[in-house]
Amino acid sequence: MSESTVPRANPRIILREEFDDWAVLFDPDTGEGFGIDPVAVFYWKRLDGVRTKSQLLDELRQECTDVPDDAPEHLDAFIARLERRGLLSVDEDAAAES
Amino acid sequence: METINEPRPEPSASPDTVPPACGFHLRTLYFYVTEGCNCACRHCWIAPRFEAGSSPTAPSIEFDLFTRIVEQARPLGLNGVKLTGGEPLIHPEFERILAYLAQTKLRVIVETNGMALTPGIAGLIKACANPFVSVSIDGADAVTHDWVRGVEGSFDKALQGIRTLVDVGIRPQVIMSVMGRNRDQMEALVALAAERGASSVKFNIVTPTERGLRMHEAGETLKVEELVKLGEWVERTLIPKAPIRVFHSHPFAFKPLSAMFEKAGGMNRCGIFSIIGVLGNGSYALCGIGESVPELVFGDARTVSLEEVWNTNPVLQEIRQGLPSKLKGICGRCLMNGVCLGSCVAMNYYRHHDLFAPFWFCEDAETAGLFPASRLQPAAA
Repeated sequence: MSESTVPRANPRIILREEFDDWAVLFDPDTGEGFGIDPVAVFYWKRLDGVRTKSQLLDELRQECTDVPDDAPEHLDAFIARLERRGLLSVDEDAAAES
Repeated sequence: METINEPRPEPSASPDTVPPACGFHLRTLYFYVTEGCNCACRHCWIAPRFEAGSSPTAPSIEFDLFTRIVEQARPLGLNGVKLTGGEPLIHPEFERILAYLAQTKLRVIVETNGMALTPGIAGLIKACANPFVSVSIDGADAVTHDWVRGVEGSFDKALQGIRTLVDVGIRPQVIMSVMGRNRDQMEALVALAAERGASSVKFNIVTPTERGLRMHEAGETLKVEELVKLGEWVERTLIPKAPIRVFHSHPFAFKPLSAMFEKAGGMNRCGIFSIIGVLGNGSYALCGIGESVPELVFGDARTVSLEEVWNTNPVLQEIRQGLPSKLKGICGRCLMNGVCLGSCVAMNYYRHHDLFAPFWFCEDAETAGLFPASRLQPAAA
């Protein structure tokens, strides 16, 4: 997954935030729910089909302290899991074309 | 990111072994070794016979039958035995049972009120593989605990029992059943348990079965509005600052996601896919509920084989085929039903005579408008 990968959240998926900044991603088509932690919630809100993976990481570093060095790998894994579940799509070339 | 409705593997599970014909391993035998108890707890969910003397008369499983059942269970995937009751420590051959279990290398779990714990028994438990002991303490002071347990002096004896366990190197879990009378003592109980060397505290909610039902009817338990608030306080305030681990037995839908994914253990999942009960009279049963609900008793272990019961019993088959997809009411709509399985099939059946009836706590919470909306499927139009 390149730095210019542009992930876009499936617009059908509903984000249900809970009191502790964790959230449930609810897929009304399958009836499935997925628990995501506060960092994943941060990313989810920015999966708009415009921001690149690199920009998502930059924003995280601006907003949060103590971002671990392996944050890019965590983001890759998160995007891959979302994609596998049909919760987002990725466009590898969107940023390069724009 | 985790699917919130997929059960996480049990730590003790051995997925590489071939399951029995029914497709499910039998992992733990729940032995209700005696139908007698040296306490008379107000909230008990199965109401055993009170046995104050030194020669208990309530039905208690014979040692030979106990060992025959364990040996029959091993090829089905057994890796642990829970000894409960009644009060298991008053079983006339309890030490012999422990000595046998120590040789089997099976994990041993003991649920006790601690009153009859001796150094000898504690030593035998310690000799078992990876033993786990829970001791019930229902108040942070003697007046409260003894009131709940119905026996004067039971608090001091329970604390002595904990000391005896700690002395042999076992750090027990303290279990408190929360009700109106002791709800303000939860924090103090955690402090007491930590000070006495316990490894953790688990808070149970009084269930509306048998004596617990009478407490509910008498208004001595907490209403669901209070229970939901209490659960929030435990999860958000008490647990983060507790000196030892604290678990709260409210349903999955009320647990923070962080508690589910960041910390292992303490989840209130019905174990029905991997356990079977054995009552003090030697009968197989769904669990201890068999002492109150005859249709959940599956036959006499003296005359039927465990393999036959585990693989072919119609109630077990129905449960395996129906959970979680056939759960009704609020449990049918809950996003967590695959991990929760309706919280407790036995209790749900006790209340509604339906294996797939919803759990009372969640039903009441829904009625009160307190069920977490983020954990629900949308209602059908």
